[in-house]
Amino acid sequence: MPQLGESIAEAKIIRLNIAMGDSVIADQEIIEVETNKAMMGVTTLCGGTVIEIRAEEGVEYAVGSLLGILEATEEEISRTGAPTMGEQAESKLLDEGEEGNLHFRQTEQSYEEPKLVEPSVRGLPVPAGMKGAHYISPRMRARMNELGLREADISAIAGSGAGGRVTVADLEQFLEYISDWPDSAASPMRLAVADAMRRSWSRPLASVGLPVVLDPVLEHRSRQDPKPGLTLYVLRAFAIALSEQPATAGFLIGEKVVHPRAYDIGIAVQVEDGVVVPVLRNVDQLRVPELAEEYGQLVRQARNRKLTLEQAQGGIATVTNFGTFGLKWGTPIPLPNETLILGLAAGIKQPRWSEVVGAFVPVTETEICLTFDHRVVDGGGAGLLLQRIGTLLQSPEKL
Amino acid sequence: MIISRTLEAKLSSLYKAGKIVGGVYLGTGQEAFSASLGCCLDQDKDIFAPLIRDQAGRTGFGEPLIDATRTYLGSALGPMRGRDGNIHRGRPAERRPAMISHLGTSVSVVAGMLMARRMKGELAEVVGATCVGDGATSTGAFHEGLNLAAVEKLPIVVLVADNQFAYSTPRERQFACENLVDRARGYGVTGREVDATNLLECLAVVHEAVKAARNCEGPQMVVGKLLRLCGHGEHDDASYVAPELKDSNLGRDCLEIGIQQVVDEGLATSDEVNLWKREAAEEVQEAVANAQTDPAPDPYQDDWRAFSSKGINS
Amino acid sequence: MSVTYIDAIHQAQRELLAESDDVFLYGQDIGGFGGAFKATKGLLEEFPGRVMDSPISEDAMVGMAIGAAISGMRPIVEMQFADFSSIAFNQIANHAGTHYYRTGIPVPITVRLPCGGTPGSGPFHSQMVETLYAHYPGIIVATPATVSDAYHLLKESVKIDDPVVFCEHKFLYRWLKTSEIDPKPLPLGMARITRPGKHATVVTYSAMVHEAVRAADRLAKEGWEIEVVDLRSVKPLDMDTVIASVARTGRLLALGEGFPWGGVTAEVVSRVVAEGFHLLDAPPLRLNSKDTPIPYHPDLWAAHRPTPESILEKLRELLNL
Repeated sequence: MPQLGESIAEAKIIRLNIAMGDSVIADQEIIEVETNKAMMGVTTLCGGTVIEIRAEEGVEYAVGSLLGILEATEEEISRTGAPTMGEQAESKLLDEGEEGNLHFRQTEQSYEEPKLVEPSVRGLPVPAGMKGAHYISPRMRARMNELGLREADISAIAGSGAGGRVTVADLEQFLEYISDWPDSAASPMRLAVADAMRRSWSRPLASVGLPVVLDPVLEHRSRQDPKPGLTLYVLRAFAIALSEQPATAGFLIGEKVVHPRAYDIGIAVQVEDGVVVPVLRNVDQLRVPELAEEYGQLVRQARNRKLTLEQAQGGIATVTNFGTFGLKWGTPIPLPNETLILGLAAGIKQPRWSEVVGAFVPVTETEICLTFDHRVVDGGGAGLLLQRIGTLLQSPEKL
Repeated sequence: MIISRTLEAKLSSLYKAGKIVGGVYLGTGQEAFSASLGCCLDQDKDIFAPLIRDQAGRTGFGEPLIDATRTYLGSALGPMRGRDGNIHRGRPAERRPAMISHLGTSVSVVAGMLMARRMKGELAEVVGATCVGDGATSTGAFHEGLNLAAVEKLPIVVLVADNQFAYSTPRERQFACENLVDRARGYGVTGREVDATNLLECLAVVHEAVKAARNCEGPQMVVGKLLRLCGHGEHDDASYVAPELKDSNLGRDCLEIGIQQVVDEGLATSDEVNLWKREAAEEVQEAVANAQTDPAPDPYQDDWRAFSSKGINS
Repeated sequence: MSVTYIDAIHQAQRELLAESDDVFLYGQDIGGFGGAFKATKGLLEEFPGRVMDSPISEDAMVGMAIGAAISGMRPIVEMQFADFSSIAFNQIANHAGTHYYRTGIPVPITVRLPCGGTPGSGPFHSQMVETLYAHYPGIIVATPATVSDAYHLLKESVKIDDPVVFCEHKFLYRWLKTSEIDPKPLPLGMARITRPGKHATVVTYSAMVHEAVRAADRLAKEGWEIEVVDLRSVKPLDMDTVIASVARTGRLLALGEGFPWGGVTAEVVSRVVAEGFHLLDAPPLRLNSKDTPIPYHPDLWAAHRPTPESILEKLRELLNL
């Protein structure tokens, strides 16, 4: 049944003008049909012999239905371009009650395999080709806010979205995955440290280390009463070295490097489930004995969690002593508002070659390491600073 | 006519004083033609869709002056409540449709109003009328509207005021036929022509047309020939009008001629005419004064809805 | 017993004519001939004097309807093709649409527009015009996609006091059938969830609803559940249903058969972004016809407008974002 006009979906056979075995020519009107608009004729596409008639008079057939079959010669078919049985599969007829559609003339052959579409990053601020890049959609943001999550929290999740981004579906799947793992609530201290470290880490940090002989300091210390903490000597050396090269402790804001106004250095104190950093003031101007009392006071208060806000503010750099845990080296992370952190490892007796004596001698050596914001300080600057500190620590009586 | 002229003079001076925002369009020179229609129609059952120079017709048909002054002065109490202005005013529920700026569109609307009455069996003795200028006869809307009204055989009277200009466009640039009334034949309607500067003639011819329509003789077109005696709007000084035209017969003032005719025919004395002028001046003054004290529409109180159905929001 | 989309329109008009003497029909070839699509077949015989053949004057047809409406009638104007309504645009948008706002008198006209493409109908017998009328204030634009909606929305449109542009999709006229008209109608202004889903939402209207469902069915075989929202009317636009759907799925494809610049799909996307930004897990996408006049050749025509294949491709793009 041909398409006999716009919006015509079917037509009724009024009269068949052919019988089995009849010969017909091309463009001959062989069937009379009635549409809802007019009487029309169905014509042949080529000449041939009628070998099958499926249509019945008085019955309605949908457009596309097979009404009959002609047998024709190859030349006739190629002359007229008429479709053959092999090519033209019968279109699926529309059943009563089904909602039909001309586009979707289903034939088994015409169904195409869906084309694979590459994930697209169009419209997203994700550099093309960057796997694991973090684009967070508004819905993602809203869900993360609901759950109190930060970007750092979702770094554990492999993203399945464009550019490797984490989608809401990925997040929900991950949350479900970890939901039957054992867990405990994070303390406020833990969250505060997490936030500070996350913010600090947003900068490019690097670490360098220097071995330092501790014997002069240890000797000097043993002769004092009361004994100042080892960390205090390091604090003093650090402050003096910094006051000689203030730019090393500078803080980068945009295109400005802000220099220290005063050499207030923080002391990292481990407390339960976190770290607090009280700040010792004017370390460049006061000597070890003068600083000892305040130092001791601050550390005690810190351990008892009794530090005030002012006592923890305003430092320009921090010293952390993880040698107390026996550690030989470390890569501490500066506070988010500071460029430098100086780490003090454990002092260990080591054999070292002495040119003077001409033999290996026992030496108490430690490694001091400096982690710095590489935007402000380079390896060279860091190295010079450490060298200076090392040198200052060989003359503890001047500190 | 006197009222119309007086009111329009007042509107013009208000405009020039900056008291009216937007356009002011006067019907100077067209008063006889327009008033004839307004007076020949039946205020109580006919339909009148006026156009921009039909102040005289409106007054003749019974539109209160305060509607005009309120609309021009943007009163919240006028028929358009500040939402449309100047000559776009109307009261559709009272058989005075409000025009839109697209010329010629009123013909089909009046046709529809008449068809509604026919379908309800209420068309007997009812006439619908509208006015257009020579320029409006060029629009597709006019053509379609008049053709449809003719096909439907409606009792419509269309007045065409051929005032020689559509804004600055002279008739040679508007149409190629010698006389606009020739178009009537093309539409299959009855056409009449009249010297629109002559009041008594206008009354006679328009009266005939209205009577014919009421008598189910089909649509009637009356073409009045005159000269527009003012600018297109009060913002226009009409300097493109040739002085010869102004001095010709076409350029005569229908109000002066009308007054003269009325006195000559003994229909009124000079004194009575002067009394009418004074009364008109007072009426106009009152309408203006009252409108000026009205509140303006409040944008914060306005409901800003274009749908009448509650619950339909964009 | 099956009811086609055009049957539903015919039945609605028949009932409207029977229920009220104020209703009348005006259009080209709608009287004795029964209309180009036979939407009014037999109605003149049944309701003499109320189904009238008009001259080819779309401007005057609508102008006349406006005049009749303000005089108490409820005219239905049938345009032969939506494409020709451009001649009446002024009367619809500037006259009917502004009338209530300016004068306080509503204009209860219904203008029926056979819209949408069919193969071979060409650039001037295929257009979707809902965007033009929705843009102007004061005009309701209905775009039914189902047989039941065609029936119920047409009946409601005539009863509403405001002007309605009723966009009937001529492709659906005879191809869309149902066994019986749903006795429970949804009111004008409410969208319908035609197909529930959870991975993405397709918001669409008119014939495209069916194309979207076909695309969704194919994607279902791959495990994607696509929700299809049928707007039913583009003005008023039921953003509550749309936003709720995007809240469920997080991804939006606005699909329409109109031209790509602006239009219903742009309006939906802009409103979802403004009101539901936090609900979107991916940029919202649009799929429309191409930015050219509608071509004549059926192969070109089929490529010009969205098809289940192109919708599917677009959905894949959306799901992969």
